[in-house]
Amino acid sequence: MTFQDALLLARPEVFLAASTLVLLVWGAFRGDKAMGEVSIGASLALFVAAGFAAVSPEGTAFAGGFIADGASIFGKVAIYLISPVAIYLGDRWLVRVGNGRFEFPILILLAALGMGMMVSAGDLISLYIGVELQSLALYVLAAFRRDDPKASEAGLKYFVLGALSSGLLLYGASLIYGFAGSTHFDLIAKSIEGGATGTGVLFGLVFLICGLAFKVSAAPFHMWTPDVYEGAPTPVVGFFAAAPKLAAMLLLARVLSEGFGTALEQWRQIIVVTAFLSVAVGAFGGLAQSNIKRLLAYSSIANIGYALIGLSAGSAEGMEAVLVFMVLYMIDVTGFFACLGALSRNGKPMEQLSDFAGLARVRPGMALALTALSFSVMGLPPFSGFWAKMFVFKAAIASGQWPLAVVLLLGSVVAAFYYLRLIKTMWFDAAPGQTDKEPLDAKGVAIASALFCFPVVLPALALLEPLAKTAALAFGLK
Amino acid sequence: MDLQAIAFYLLAAVTVISGFLVITARNPVHSVLFLIMAFFTAAGLFVMLGAEFLAMLLIVVYVGAVAVLFLFVVMMLDVDFTQLREGFARYLPIGMAVGGVLAVEMVMVAVTVAANGAAGKNAAPAAPVADLPNAEAIGRVLYTDYIYFFQAAGLVLLVAMIGAIVLTLRRRPGVRRQNIGDQVARTPASGMKIVQIKSGEGLSE
Amino acid sequence: MEPIVTTLVFAPLVGALIAGLFGRRIGDLASQSVTTGLLLLTCGLSWMTFYQVIWGSWAGQETFTLAPFIHIGNFISNWSIRIDTLSAVMLVVVSSVSALVHIYSWGYMAEDPSRPRFFAYLSLFTFAMLMLVTAADFMQLFFGWEGVGLASYLLIGFWFKKPSASAAAIKAFVVNRVGDFGFALGIMTVFWMFGTIQFAELFPLIAAKAGTQWTFIGQSWSAIDLACGLLFIGAMGKSAQFFLHTWLPDAMEGPTPVSALIHAATMVTAGVYMVCLLSPMFEYAPVTKQIVTLIGAITALFAATVGLAQNDIKRVIAYSTCSQLGYMFFAAGVGAYQAAMFHLFTHAFFKALLFLGAGSVIHGMHHEQDMRKMGGLWKYLPVTYAVMVIGTLAITGFGIPSLHLGFAGFYSKDAIIESAWAASGKNGIASFAFVVGLLAAGLTAFYSWRLAFMTFHGTAKWDSAHADAHGHDDHAHDAGHGHDDHAHDDHGHAHKPHESPLVMLLPLVALAVGAIGAGYAFVESFVGEHRNEFWRGAIFNAPTNHVLEHAHHAPEWVVMAPLVVSMTGLAVAIYVYLMNEGMGLRVASRGGPLHTFFYNKWFFDELYEATFVRATRFLGDVFWKIGDQKIIDGFGPDGVAAVSASVGRRLSKAQSGYVYHYAFVMLLGVAGLLSYALWAWAH
Repeated sequence: MTFQDALLLARPEVFLAASTLVLLVWGAFRGDKAMGEVSIGASLALFVAAGFAAVSPEGTAFAGGFIADGASIFGKVAIYLISPVAIYLGDRWLVRVGNGRFEFPILILLAALGMGMMVSAGDLISLYIGVELQSLALYVLAAFRRDDPKASEAGLKYFVLGALSSGLLLYGASLIYGFAGSTHFDLIAKSIEGGATGTGVLFGLVFLICGLAFKVSAAPFHMWTPDVYEGAPTPVVGFFAAAPKLAAMLLLARVLSEGFGTALEQWRQIIVVTAFLSVAVGAFGGLAQSNIKRLLAYSSIANIGYALIGLSAGSAEGMEAVLVFMVLYMIDVTGFFACLGALSRNGKPMEQLSDFAGLARVRPGMALALTALSFSVMGLPPFSGFWAKMFVFKAAIASGQWPLAVVLLLGSVVAAFYYLRLIKTMWFDAAPGQTDKEPLDAKGVAIASALFCFPVVLPALALLEPLAKTAALAFGLK
Repeated sequence: MDLQAIAFYLLAAVTVISGFLVITARNPVHSVLFLIMAFFTAAGLFVMLGAEFLAMLLIVVYVGAVAVLFLFVVMMLDVDFTQLREGFARYLPIGMAVGGVLAVEMVMVAVTVAANGAAGKNAAPAAPVADLPNAEAIGRVLYTDYIYFFQAAGLVLLVAMIGAIVLTLRRRPGVRRQNIGDQVARTPASGMKIVQIKSGEGLSE
Repeated sequence: MEPIVTTLVFAPLVGALIAGLFGRRIGDLASQSVTTGLLLLTCGLSWMTFYQVIWGSWAGQETFTLAPFIHIGNFISNWSIRIDTLSAVMLVVVSSVSALVHIYSWGYMAEDPSRPRFFAYLSLFTFAMLMLVTAADFMQLFFGWEGVGLASYLLIGFWFKKPSASAAAIKAFVVNRVGDFGFALGIMTVFWMFGTIQFAELFPLIAAKAGTQWTFIGQSWSAIDLACGLLFIGAMGKSAQFFLHTWLPDAMEGPTPVSALIHAATMVTAGVYMVCLLSPMFEYAPVTKQIVTLIGAITALFAATVGLAQNDIKRVIAYSTCSQLGYMFFAAGVGAYQAAMFHLFTHAFFKALLFLGAGSVIHGMHHEQDMRKMGGLWKYLPVTYAVMVIGTLAITGFGIPSLHLGFAGFYSKDAIIESAWAASGKNGIASFAFVVGLLAAGLTAFYSWRLAFMTFHGTAKWDSAHADAHGHDDHAHDAGHGHDDHAHDDHGHAHKPHESPLVMLLPLVALAVGAIGAGYAFVESFVGEHRNEFWRGAIFNAPTNHVLEHAHHAPEWVVMAPLVVSMTGLAVAIYVYLMNEGMGLRVASRGGPLHTFFYNKWFFDELYEATFVRATRFLGDVFWKIGDQKIIDGFGPDGVAAVSASVGRRLSKAQSGYVYHYAFVMLLGVAGLLSYALWAWAH
């Protein structure tokens, strides 16, 4: 493979990196007043990258460090399409709070680039670099509002704990390299198949899983999630509750299936435990929350648990379920945070559950959107969340993971409580007063994602499902 | 036991011990010094492996830059270390327990692996070409096979840079800064205002 | 033909929907007009169908499938309309009585504020009843069965603000559940046994499978007897037979037109209809037939004795209904299905007449139902008096055997008694039924004439009754037995009794014509020489069943006996209530054991209260307070919720906000996962 071929395979990422540099220079010269332009440019770049990704050929490049296959293309298109929404929401939001800086779109762009690398990673090194690129950008984004002590705290916590998780990940990677003799997924798989490596490489794998579990905020590596969700700027949370989770999930799926496909029985046991813990922590932890952002943090922990259940199936069907689940969840959660970003009372964002009392009378449109999104995340048919869970459920049953399927159902039942409480608060409690007029951008995104939950999901699913199916085949599992 | 083995065990032992002391030393300055010690011994291990370039990098970058930066930070920040260490005794047993479990497990795995055969039996890393200098050998792969990682690492650094700027460069309202240009360009017209004051009324401003 | 029968079945539903859903919007008059108009249409089409099926061109059986209902494997059920002689007879009975009751209700319910609801219920009932009688399989039969049960519940509790009406409605519903449970089991048994629930497919299979035996608890059971027995339990519930009769008297809490339509002429006869419809099955179930005969006979006697001692005008007629249903059942039990159907047919006319007449009296007396407070009303309600006498003559079976001429009941009741005699040769229970039939005929005559005399003759007690109505000794005595004070009577007694309006009298006159002539007109067709051409196989008689044949050749004394006993009953009634007025009250106030026994309905309500109700309540308390509240709620919803909440609180408490706590949890997680993994891999 020539260098040109390699560049062609990595065209979306190369293009993104180049545009990032151009936009950065542009922003540096024009200053913060160029934020709008940079945002538009970044969004365009992401759209173009998504287009490149969609038509990308398949293959591996850079000595196996970069893989372009069905799964990576699927992930990239999803990530590059959801990121402009985050830029759009965040840009407007930051302008409103008087903190508009041109670095914001640049950082999102870099994070998206990192995610693109993650889903294309074919090697422990590119895995790590992709994760770091994404994470660093997110740490900065979390603390983007330096004047807000909560945001700074969130950013710092995220950073410190992220560094710890990176340490675990690196430690695991070095163990794997040490025992398997290669950082390349294919070669790791081969050496495991050879049978010489034994427990050592799997030992490294546990560390690797721990590091990645932190990135997807699976229990017991979830502790940062509620604090960071609460403190970080709302649109930023909306961003990193969505795309990075998909990227990390895909990466995890790829490492496990391509690097450790022959040790399926071994890693499944670990994934099962984390999935179970995540569902339990997410479902029960949310019960005692009064802050909506913290609530959503627990909700995302639980949902990652459901996705991990799909992963634990260890089959092509399970991978397909993970892909569908993550994409549908991504849209739900974007809508949720768009709602949160849109709603404020007397200039203060509404974040407490009690703030939402009587919203249905004051802002029926937003209340309706939130209700639809809640129903969806709850897993009520025919909303999108139901289909997502159904795919996972089916995959779990098909691979004989009965206990986890039951856990999924029980978790959903317990978690339904807090969504229903939100709905009840909105529709049946008395409103404490008028809310501010919601900005058009956030409202639009909120309503669009609510509409996606139902009814757009039905035709969309017909489109998404075959794509996810082909993408899942790329993992090489049966 | 030949000389090499003695050197290895010595260096390895010192690395582990100083690593332990980094976290147990009472004075943070001592901790950083032990860290530097660990770096040095690790560099020694690299040298023993024939990777003298990496050894030099470790010393130049980590000892010369990172560790010294740490020292500065530790010395400049007025941290109340007694307060920081308050919970130490309380958390020590459980921390030790967890650490002990991890250590035992690692030993177990190491023993099993050692018994079953050495690591990476079937895919040994390529031996360096004999007459090639270390730096050149790295350079040959760094800019060819690993160009992707190399560039990506560059982007990571870029993010770090941007992050540093975003998080530190900010204009706080109400903070007055000296602007020499303005001061020099000041004219009596811009610096003075002549106001007529009626008697008995004062200035409302 | 199909559009006609479809229209006649669904017209009442349309009426019910219009009046029920839009009644408030379109007003009382429009609702009444729509429902009554559609019912008249149904009635006309029913008579046309009847005529065409029996004498016209639509000969024989025909089934129209309208839509699939349930199709699961072999279990096939369709919405369909089955037209044969049996269903045509029922169509005529149901639609005629229903139409007349609709008209009658214009007058009777004139002061009620929620008339649209009433008429909607009435039409809904009619629809369900028509579905029942035209069913071509068990599922639709069951649908209609439950539909009429629902409508009956709604109508008994029509005045739902009255606690006694609500209680009666619930009682009717619950007692019917017992029967329906048996019915459902019967359907399942049939399906299990034959693999089909379509009558048309089922009946030809019966002869072949009649001998099937099932072993249960070491005993061999005749499968078809079991199926028929279970189905008969359903019939017992709906037709208020002994053991499951308790709801019918209480059902009199509903408006009187409802009692006439549902609890006299149509719904309660559904059980009889079902037994006749399933005659191909019952003919092969000898044991069950004996049971049917026995239960019917006991009911006939029991209800007649209770009817002797009741003072509520509607309750007397209710027990009379119960008793007449007993007649029908033992007729069916001895194999004279035709006689049962014939009695059903004539009974519909004269019993509806009696009820509506009683309604007219109640209306005229301003909602007074206690016969002891009536008397001498014939002057004030002449038309009502006339038709009530006709009704009474009909129910007592008055006629002259030698001339073969009489009122409607004469033909049908005599046919039944003669059939019982004919069957009694080789059948002890049939002999019992014959004796009971005679005895009950005498009792019927007594209580029916008692009702007529107490109401229309003697001294008028309503004037004086008014003065001390609420201080009367007997009244207090009554209150303990569920006799109700009508809520409406406060405005009443100040006026004199008055004759009912024309709109109420016309249905009475129409029914009176039926009560006089229905027997004479149809006796030959139903049970006489022409019965085979009339029924055309809709009723099946086993080759060995010659009951009707023998009944025609009953000896003279058997033919004369019913007249003699009913005349005796009449004579006693004249002696007690006309010649020695007040004697009945004296007997009652003396409180003899027999009177107390009859007056309290053989203490059935008390017995059920003491056994089933208490035991059920006790069991319910056990399950509720211990099983549900303590165990299920305690460990289930409440316990789980409490545990969930506390787990949630703990989890959020663990979320301390300290980075080193978080980091520690992460390391703990790593160590835990590693240990778990090593342990799991080792196994």
